[in-house]
Amino acid sequence: MDIKKLSTKEKNTWCPGCLNNSIATATKFALSNLINKNAVKKKDVVIVTDIGCSSKVYDYIDVNAYYSLHGRALPPMLGIKAANPELTVIGFAGDGGTYNEGIAHLIHNARYNADMTLMVSNNQVFALTTGQETSTSEEGFKGPSTPAGVEDSPLNPVALALTAGATFVARACPLEFKQLEEIIEKAILHKGFSFIDILQPCLTFHNTIPFLQKHIYKLGDNFNRLDFGQAFKKAIEWDYDYKEKSKIALGIFYQIDKPTFQDKWINLKKAAYKVKRNVNWLKVVKEFQ
Amino acid sequence: MRKKFTILIGGEAGQGVAKTSLLFGKAFSRLGYYVFIYRDYPSLIRGGHNFDVITISNEPVFSQEDNYDLIIALDQNTINLHQENSKNGGFIIGNVGFGARQNRKIINLDLQKIISKIKGASSVFNNDILAGYLFKYFGLPLNPLLKASKDEFGGKQLLEKTIKKGYNLAKTEKKLFEPSSKRGKYFLSGSQAVGSGAIAAGIDIYIAYPITPATPVLHFLAARQAENNFSVLQLENEIAVANTALGASFGGAMTMIGTSGAGLSLMSEAMSMQGMSEIPLVVYLSQRTGPATGVPTYSSQGDLDLILNIGHGEFPRIVVAPGDPNETFLRTIEAFYLAYKYRLLSLLVLDKHLSESYFSFDKIDRPSVKPKRNILQKPPEDYKSYKIAKNGISPRAVPGQGPVVRATSYEHDEYGYTIEDQKTAVAMNNKRFAKLAYLKKEIDNLNPVSTYGRGKNLVIGWGSTKGAIIDSLPALPGVKFLQISYLSPFPARKVKQEIQRASNVILVENNVTGLLGKLIAQETGYQIKNKVLKYDSRPFSAGDVIKGVKKYIK
Repeated sequence: MDIKKLSTKEKNTWCPGCLNNSIATATKFALSNLINKNAVKKKDVVIVTDIGCSSKVYDYIDVNAYYSLHGRALPPMLGIKAANPELTVIGFAGDGGTYNEGIAHLIHNARYNADMTLMVSNNQVFALTTGQETSTSEEGFKGPSTPAGVEDSPLNPVALALTAGATFVARACPLEFKQLEEIIEKAILHKGFSFIDILQPCLTFHNTIPFLQKHIYKLGDNFNRLDFGQAFKKAIEWDYDYKEKSKIALGIFYQIDKPTFQDKWINLKKAAYKVKRNVNWLKVVKEFQ
Repeated sequence: MRKKFTILIGGEAGQGVAKTSLLFGKAFSRLGYYVFIYRDYPSLIRGGHNFDVITISNEPVFSQEDNYDLIIALDQNTINLHQENSKNGGFIIGNVGFGARQNRKIINLDLQKIISKIKGASSVFNNDILAGYLFKYFGLPLNPLLKASKDEFGGKQLLEKTIKKGYNLAKTEKKLFEPSSKRGKYFLSGSQAVGSGAIAAGIDIYIAYPITPATPVLHFLAARQAENNFSVLQLENEIAVANTALGASFGGAMTMIGTSGAGLSLMSEAMSMQGMSEIPLVVYLSQRTGPATGVPTYSSQGDLDLILNIGHGEFPRIVVAPGDPNETFLRTIEAFYLAYKYRLLSLLVLDKHLSESYFSFDKIDRPSVKPKRNILQKPPEDYKSYKIAKNGISPRAVPGQGPVVRATSYEHDEYGYTIEDQKTAVAMNNKRFAKLAYLKKEIDNLNPVSTYGRGKNLVIGWGSTKGAIIDSLPALPGVKFLQISYLSPFPARKVKQEIQRASNVILVENNVTGLLGKLIAQETGYQIKNKVLKYDSRPFSAGDVIKGVKKYIK
């Protein structure tokens, strides 16, 4: 499928050159490949977005879409999947929505292991609200709400997702576009909860391109994704601070098969709306006689 | 002639108070008696003091009595706390060594000795000995009790043995009055009515986070999901519950969530999301005493303002508040029907008193509506999720059918794309509120108000006060009761009519400020001056209503 068929005609309101464009394009390529391979049907794709720059993608991809509230991309994703297991559910959110406002949902959805994918545009800043610190901003980051610089250590989302039990954990960056596209494709194919922390430099409020260019490297083909210990070691290799000796691995840290939310569930193995119910109300109240 | 017999059973949490009263309730109901059970328990797991008040009658009874013919004491504390309210001629039954004031008759059974003769039994069966004993004492047959025990707790041999033992120990001392001649009564609580209503409505998914007093619905539905092929999910918090439910409903499932006031506060943002996205959703609220944690296992009608206003921004909603389990069954089905027809939020409002009290009815009324998911069979290629229709209802489609389906928290155009222009903003607000006129007409046909009794004095109430008010009417000649079941959209015309016909209006509410009174003033312009308000965290008894209303009767 031509990726133009996955694009809407809505006006793009990201800043010129915004790397969220690359994430959207990589997603469209990944989806187009999966549709061509018959692994995914376009009519079954649902994207769910948070609120913030990451989430403007709602208007730009021409598939079923749900524009949620801030911090709440994951709960409706779970609901959509529960209502219809046939759907391919893909979430877009930012670091503010995922690691600040909605962090409880990340931890618990990693545990539930529903078959869906969450992509976090982690620019380590609240961009749409003009540049305040988030929980992944590096120590020393200066924003309008922290003029003296952030004194806290940033949260490590990759380590967090691993310990919370996500069955597919990856880090990507639009500066490595081809790899990003491949990771998205694999994340969508993975049966279980897939989590991708995407380092996304914000050209306006947090331009980390020079730093990232210097410090990122790709995990080699021989990296054992089944080894939790190794994955965790790799995850804490970088603490999301900006230090001279930082080594920032990109790739799939961890991927295992575990029963998914739907496997564990007793009922509604098919789309709820296809279930015909003709309940006899008298039978329902019979137990009270 | 109306006859009543009221039993209080009390003990520590864990001693089987609720279990025994359920056993009695079911057995007496089967025998043809009308039964009402009021449950009173503090917020703890073991110890403390729990009690249930069981009223048995040959005529319908919908509320708890203040005085008791019999006290079943599972501990001495029960006697200490309640003998004051023991009626003249009443008596107490309890373990050997329990004592009561001199003028109170007490039957002491050496339960330890009795139990020791039943192999495998222990003091947890004390209540079952007493249940069997009392049935014989009143000359009632054993079988309904054994059958009730089997229905409620499974056919456990030891339980049956213990009940029989108690039965055989007693002599018939006093015949209880004859039951009503009508057999086949239904005996159920408000919670069970909500759960059954949801199943009858065709629920696909129920989602909740545990909270008293809404939890019994979570348990009721969870236990019935396998045989009825629907799903029950308990999630990480109330915010997740409400937002997941919106996702599920968007995905095509008939969805309900349940909570109490503290949980509903957390769900506020999702209610607003419902308003903008127009994803149908049914919310069950069982009110308890607030603000904050309040008196969490007790009752109140203090959340009316919250319900009517919850969620930022302006959007229409349905608020329906039944007054007893029979009505709750019907209203639950209506809540689904309306939410899924109009793509609206339906708030189904009960409180601890209605959710957890048990009632008997001769029949459950036939539901007048049949809920549907209302999803287009074949949505058009150029489907518009927010198509502007005259009645404001954009036809529903769901993801997976073919065309792109959208739902959004942003103001949007007909396709669901984000907009910020004034013209579309106005058109969409108008579309959302256009539903109201159609909804009002429909609700007019669903008995939004009901009246009981005759007279120029009009008592107005909503929700769980219905039982106590109806039971008070025989003692209040010249009083008519107006029950308002739909609070949004408000049946203003009908309420105004009733107020105009009355010469005196009295408000009865289980809250501090008379929230329904405020709503009536806002919707009809009529200020009710005579208010009977109760906010001690306990529900009205008929006695409370009589005392309160009498002051204002003209």
